[in-house]
Amino acid sequence: MRLWNHKPALVAGACALTLAGSPAFAATPTQGSLGGTSTGQIGITATIPASVQITKLGDLAFGTLDPTTASQLTENPCVWSNTATKGYSITATGSGASSAFTLSNGTSTVAYGVQWAGTTGATTGTTLTAGSAATGFTSTATSPTCASGAATTASLIVGFTTAQMQAAVGSATAYTGTLTLVVSPQ
Amino acid sequence: MPCARRPAWLALACGALLTSLASPVAAKSPDVRITGLVDLAFNTITDLSSDASQEEDVCVFSASPTSGYNVTATGSGSGGAFDLRSGGNKISYEVQWNTQAGQLTGTQLTSGTPLTGLVSSATQQTCNSGPNASASLVVILRAAALSGAVPGSYTGQLTLLIAPE
Repeated sequence: MRLWNHKPALVAGACALTLAGSPAFAATPTQGSLGGTSTGQIGITATIPASVQITKLGDLAFGTLDPTTASQLTENPCVWSNTATKGYSITATGSGASSAFTLSNGTSTVAYGVQWAGTTGATTGTTLTAGSAATGFTSTATSPTCASGAATTASLIVGFTTAQMQAAVGSATAYTGTLTLVVSPQ
Repeated sequence: MPCARRPAWLALACGALLTSLASPVAAKSPDVRITGLVDLAFNTITDLSSDASQEEDVCVFSASPTSGYNVTATGSGSGGAFDLRSGGNKISYEVQWNTQAGQLTGTQLTSGTPLTGLVSSATQQTCNSGPNASASLVVILRAAALSGAVPGSYTGQLTLLIAPE
């Protein structure tokens, strides 16, 4: 990619450095002159935005539930954040009406609960409310997809209470739904 | 008085003087020049999982009999390191050099160490005639550096020193 734009911001930066007594850099780019040696200089700029990424999500299959016994499943995603604190917030929405955490068999629904923990392997966590951000989590991930360093960094816990199951209509047709997780940098 | 008309005893000294004046002085090294440099702006890098690379074509001219030259790059980081800085944070980058224009890869440069044995195709010192560029400068921000960087606007300078060979 060829770039031909001069960047005035670098000029200002060079002046500031001179006044501060630090090593001074000429306004860039500078072209070399003809001589026994020739020296040129360019400026390089890059902006890194605050970024997060969630990976290692898997579907959850509860199979046939017993309405007299609470049931929950846990999975361990990778959440990466590049902020100085590695902080992030998470917002979950279900596929029910108004983003409710409900599954549907086409005619009836069953509610479920969602918890989130900022550590991997947890069996309890912060209870999430559909559409509301839960804040203050910190990631231990050192790569965006946990390809190196920590393999997973968080726990997603989804479960049914006995009350939720007993409120549901028994059905031979499976209840299904989707859960969306939005991670934001903090 | 011309040496030829001087007495014999003076002729030797005169000849020695002429010999001294005719002796070769230290040879001037062939001239070189680097032009066509532009700043590189990566702008906002949203894909931090992939390398970010930019290339620019530059004109390096060498008046040496072989058109040979070497290039030494130094960054504005500590000890000449190839680093961009944003306050107290930094991103390291790589620099590559290719003796042909329009190339996206080249030989990796080490800060402060000349890359030798290069030959320029430039026929005019600023490439105003002949090829309009004679080398490629490639700057690469590796994914590992990008994903490990704290958000911010990073800047730095890269200095290129050309010497004849």
